[in-house]
Amino acid sequence: MVAKPHVVEEKLPVSPAKDSVAAAEVSLYRNVLKIKKEHDLESLGIAFYDAQTTIHWSYNGDHYFHAASTMKLAVLLAVFRQVDRGELALDAPVHVRNRFTSIVNREPFMLDLGNDADPDVYGHLGRTLTIRELAYWMITKSSNLATNLLVDVVGIPTIQQALDELEIDGVRILRGVEDQAAFDAGLNNEVTANGLLKLLRLIAEERAYSKNASGEMLHILLEQQYRSGIPAGLPKAVRVAHKTGNISTVHHDAGIVFVEARKPYVLVILTQFRAETGRGTAVADVSRDIYNTIAEMTYE
Amino acid sequence: MSESQQIKVVDAFDLDDELRGLLKPGEMLRDAQGRRHRLPRYFYEIPSHEAAVQIRLTPHFGINEFILVDLREAQRLQQFPRYVPCAVRMLAFFLEQFRAAAGASVHIAVNGGYRSPAHKMAFDASPHMWGTAADIYRIGTSILRTKELIDRFNDVAEELSDDVMVLPYGHDTGQTVDDHVHIDLGYLTVIPREISEDRMEVPQESRPRFAFEERRKRERRVPQSVAAGSENEK
Repeated sequence: MVAKPHVVEEKLPVSPAKDSVAAAEVSLYRNVLKIKKEHDLESLGIAFYDAQTTIHWSYNGDHYFHAASTMKLAVLLAVFRQVDRGELALDAPVHVRNRFTSIVNREPFMLDLGNDADPDVYGHLGRTLTIRELAYWMITKSSNLATNLLVDVVGIPTIQQALDELEIDGVRILRGVEDQAAFDAGLNNEVTANGLLKLLRLIAEERAYSKNASGEMLHILLEQQYRSGIPAGLPKAVRVAHKTGNISTVHHDAGIVFVEARKPYVLVILTQFRAETGRGTAVADVSRDIYNTIAEMTYE
Repeated sequence: MSESQQIKVVDAFDLDDELRGLLKPGEMLRDAQGRRHRLPRYFYEIPSHEAAVQIRLTPHFGINEFILVDLREAQRLQQFPRYVPCAVRMLAFFLEQFRAAAGASVHIAVNGGYRSPAHKMAFDASPHMWGTAADIYRIGTSILRTKELIDRFNDVAEELSDDVMVLPYGHDTGQTVDDHVHIDLGYLTVIPREISEDRMEVPQESRPRFAFEERRKRERRVPQSVAAGSENEK
């Protein structure tokens, strides 16, 4: 028998005046608790920044989650750091090879072909793809092979350096993906909602190294092909530059949301659930709730 | 190689400083066992991508297959004209035999043919730097990543000649292989018959090698005062 979830009802602040920013925040908070309860989530982390109203809001924003594929945002950032510094060319060819080295014991490991989201990259085994192509597949189809190849090219220290330089706390990158020995040793990439929010804000505000680099990253993120997270809670016309992250017990999405006739908002939703519960639609539900709150707000 | 496909042979000592610094002709390198080997000096010069695609070393192997590299190769060596040691044609000859014995097409991996001493995968001396090693990642439609396949094609390669060496299946980088077949002929150098070996093993300063060097030489001959005067006029 599955145990009934125990959700603590948290005390809300005194009701603020209607139509105020504070009222919107209270409404968001109330709905988030409801969604957490409905989906029986173990953990939920949300961070939100609206460039139009400058509302900056988070729920459990500094709680660390297994990063899953959201770590690919940090890899993307490091790639464009190197490109911006002239140390890497976007059209430089990279040998597509399924052989990597564990950070724990230096033993080689291969990715499981069945686990990768992008068989197209495997089709180039023994040949080359450019840095630009690998970055594209890493984000848009979440290719693990493309990710590990790029991690090999730029190196973990450069990824961490990029995060440090841009003062992004809350994103810890230790390794590439599917390093089972590292996983067994408890060495995992971790993110917080606030950390990813900072990273995406820098891209949205063209402050991730340069206007050019930010523009290139944004362009790739807009091509995302997995849309069951943030976009699933939005009208079809809304464009989202985002990166999802899924493993057996987490489902995340982090993106920049472009609604017509207003400045974009940045939203990060991190969820962790029990294996028997399944991932459900919590991310889409939070996304919908935030969109509705934004849509109802009036501003100068 | 047909007469219409003749490639220029160059003595690497005659190349410019940057290329000589990358190719290191005649320099000694130690292999993983500490044995010293002298790097090749004579190279084929491949003028363009089109030429690389057109020039066949054997009926089934074009020279382009031996010069496929990625960003780990020095940037200058990724630009045409490209250089590959003359011994590559011996490798192509054996690969043609291997292809016939395997009964299927043989695909050389990127970074799996010639790698210069400046290549980031070059730690110790390896026959790849002599143009006498090939890493094969696919034979026919089979991608080589199982022990069974690698053992089977290693046997085929070893049957060709006592001069052919392969690496056994295993996970020790450089000593064994687990995602390709490695075939090499050792540290073999080829001295093309049109080469006379009585030349000095240093660049021949008395004769200009390329047009830009000729220009530089001329510039050096211009008196300092004249050069300074012309600059001030701007």
